[in-house]
Amino acid sequence: MGIRDLLDPAVDLAAIIDVVPNAIVMVDREGRIVLVNSQAESLFGYARNELLGEPVEMLVPFALRGAHPHHRAAFERSPKSRPMGAGRDLYGLRKDGSAIPLEIGLSPIRTESGIYFVSAIVDLTERKRLEARFRATVESAPTAMVMIDQAGTIVLANAELTALFGYTRDELLGRKIEILVPNRFRHAHPGLRTQYFGERVARRMGEGRDLFGIRKDGTEFPVEIGLNPIGTDEGMFVLGAIVDLTERTHQAQALRAANEALEHSNIELQRFAYVASHDLQSPMRTIAGFVELLGSRYGEQLDAQARDWIQRAVHATKHLQAMVRDLLEYSRVDANPRPFVRVALDEVFDETVAMLRAAIDESRATVVREGNLPVVEGDRSQLAQLLLNLVGNAIKYHGEEPPRVSMSGGKVDGEWRFAVADNGIGIDPRSHEKIFEIFRRLHTKEYPGTGIGLAAARRIVQCHGGRIWVESAPGRGSTFYFTLKSDPEGGQLGHGIHA
Amino acid sequence: MDTASTRKFVGQILHVEDDDDDAELTTIGLAQAAVPLRVHRVKDGIECLAFLKHEGDFAGSPRPDIILLDLNLPRMDGREVLDAITQDPTLCKLPVVVFTTSAAERDVSWSYQRRCSSYVVKPVGFEDFQKALRVVTDFWFDVATLPVAND
Repeated sequence: MGIRDLLDPAVDLAAIIDVVPNAIVMVDREGRIVLVNSQAESLFGYARNELLGEPVEMLVPFALRGAHPHHRAAFERSPKSRPMGAGRDLYGLRKDGSAIPLEIGLSPIRTESGIYFVSAIVDLTERKRLEARFRATVESAPTAMVMIDQAGTIVLANAELTALFGYTRDELLGRKIEILVPNRFRHAHPGLRTQYFGERVARRMGEGRDLFGIRKDGTEFPVEIGLNPIGTDEGMFVLGAIVDLTERTHQAQALRAANEALEHSNIELQRFAYVASHDLQSPMRTIAGFVELLGSRYGEQLDAQARDWIQRAVHATKHLQAMVRDLLEYSRVDANPRPFVRVALDEVFDETVAMLRAAIDESRATVVREGNLPVVEGDRSQLAQLLLNLVGNAIKYHGEEPPRVSMSGGKVDGEWRFAVADNGIGIDPRSHEKIFEIFRRLHTKEYPGTGIGLAAARRIVQCHGGRIWVESAPGRGSTFYFTLKSDPEGGQLGHGIHA
Repeated sequence: MDTASTRKFVGQILHVEDDDDDAELTTIGLAQAAVPLRVHRVKDGIECLAFLKHEGDFAGSPRPDIILLDLNLPRMDGREVLDAITQDPTLCKLPVVVFTTSAAERDVSWSYQRRCSSYVVKPVGFEDFQKALRVVTDFWFDVATLPVAND
């Protein structure tokens, strides 16, 4: 049954041929153009009367024109429907002299007047442009990229890939992808490939496994590979992006080593702190004890000078013991940060006041909390130590009047800000920074202390992500301010920050 | 009530301590006691058990009223001594006051599990040290009733 029989007789076959979206060019045995459709006119830029009767070679670029009659002759010898120029890139020549890439399908047609050859021509310009863009993208990608076909043959390799593996592009194209895979994995790789072609999902390769590549010189290196299936009308391909993990692995190892070293250092430090507290205290007690006994048992037999010296020796050992104890306290501040929890500062404040009861009564101090203190996140015992140091100082460094100490706190500029204010002796502005230094004291004779309190306070505040400072002048009291980090809405509990 | 103060009584204390300085300061501290005391000093666990069993050099040793026991001793440490005392029917009645520098939770639990009478961490300050010993002797020789000897 012919085509004509399929159609309504009113439909004009010729009209159909004319509007077919492919360009149609029909030539006779001599290679003369006998028929063109509208698409052929616009594709080549000619009007049909410019083409009819002319040799078809006028549509072939000069460089290919010489060979064209031979191709026609070959086709005539075994005329059957087939694509033209398998394995070759075909081009056509437009009226304006530009060459366009083409895909051409050929069919012989026998009529009463002889054999004719019909070609259906597709303009590949757009497709070539997109392909060129794809190649350019892959080529210029900062990641090594390789594309393989279903047989695992490398069909595309960008510059980065050649640099990474040490091959030239020619050494890679046409080879199996397995040449880039270390020997011990090579055996299993084709199977994995086949599996992936079945999946066709864009994903990382080898989740949970360590992947390795092997260079031309035989050296191995760790890699991360991302896979992408690419479907084309030539079939399925897989595009792989390969990242060299050597640097990342080195950095991870360096980080691990640094952490281990830090861990060891911390353990050493804690052992040192333990030794300082435990083993030093026994001989210190011995010194203090015997010197004190010397004074009490033989004091009467000694002159005033000797008694004075003994007195000062005893005093010094007591000071030494206090310093060692405080140093231990200070070193414990960030030795092993505990996870932060919610701490009700009201409670901590009240406990602090209870602990300072004796000092409060002795100096007839009033210690108050102004309003409610917030619930913050932190290490409870450290915050307790902080308040103890600040409130204790506020009570200790009083002048003539009984100390009046008040603590307040609230949110300022997104962080918690607290103030411990007193009416004590005040601090000279020139010393406002110095007082936070360890063992730095301004009043060694008049007021007792080891000089650790504010240094420890600063350490604690820093571990909580805050700062501490003072506003004060001699004779005008002091207000110590400190901030604590406020957790974000619905924030997670974190660990202390090492200063 | 027949406490030490109603009799002509000299309290016998066995002090187990390896450090000579601590031993001397302890003896001085114990001398503050309201009742007369005799302090017997041994240096390690082995000497301690020999004393308690009246063996060898300690053949004529008296039975102590209380034992003041340091934990960290050479040769046989206080923990083993406590074990040995607890398990010996003739010795297990003797009150043992552990008197040591260790404040470790582990040591405290362990000692009480072995039925020590009390656990005292040696105070760091000399005054507190003296006071602790005063309190210990006051308690054992003036407040508590001591077990009677049966050997």
